Amino acid sequence: MAAVSQSFKTELLGAIPSLRAFAVSLTQNADKADDLVQETLVKAWDKHESFQPGTNLKAWLFTILRNEFYSQMRKRGREVQDSDGIMTARLAVHPAQHGQLDLKDFRGALEQLPEDQREAIILIGASGFSYEEAAEICGCAVGTIKSRVSRARARLQEILKISGEDEFGPDAISAQVTGSNAA
Amino acid sequence: MKEMSKKHTAGPGSGRRNGDGNPLGTNSEIARKLKQYYDDLVSDQVPDRFAQLLSQLEKAEPAQKKD
Repeated sequence: MAAVSQSFKTELLGAIPSLRAFAVSLTQNADKADDLVQETLVKAWDKHESFQPGTNLKAWLFTILRNEFYSQMRKRGREVQDSDGIMTARLAVHPAQHGQLDLKDFRGALEQLPEDQREAIILIGASGFSYEEAAEICGCAVGTIKSRVSRARARLQEILKISGEDEFGPDAISAQVTGSNAA
Repeated sequence: MKEMSKKHTAGPGSGRRNGDGNPLGTNSEIARKLKQYYDDLVSDQVPDRFAQLLSQLEKAEPAQKKD
């Protein structure tokens, strides 16, 4: 097989922080997340030839990571999500500039979401992917991503007791999807 | 596995339909918290093990058969 190019390696390195963030969002556990990232890097390395240069490497890597996560979860019979506080403990080491308590609440709320909703809102709202890219990563329809995002958002609002979110204004799509319960 | 079935659009966010940023609503509490949560994770220091792993993979490579 052809040698892995230097630029591919450099890009892999550069993608690691995002991969770790996505992995933590999926697993809710820092150690498992890093194992998942490691698996992802090895897989990506092995199949680097199937990556098409010029396309979005980050999306490609996220797809691999996500597939790996779900296949592990299937193997283990779903004990993937344990909220044993490891993550919380780790993060407590980094005193955040922004309201820490708030963020902790938010993290707790995020944990309560079903995986499919959580990953959708992360990909769209935090990782900066388009709906189309997120749909590609998750192997589902664009409309499915949209509805997961809006359900995730509604659920988070509910858990965090945030009201008045219909002042969302600019986003026609989400407004359309959530319209009915955006009282 | 359904990796890379189709090409991913090049460049993050290129497929976003309304150009004005976050689909969750720029000013929403949820959008801001989500960003904070994620940015915190992204800025977490990357352990050495990953750079080491890539070096190992790289070293292992010449030993493999070239197609």
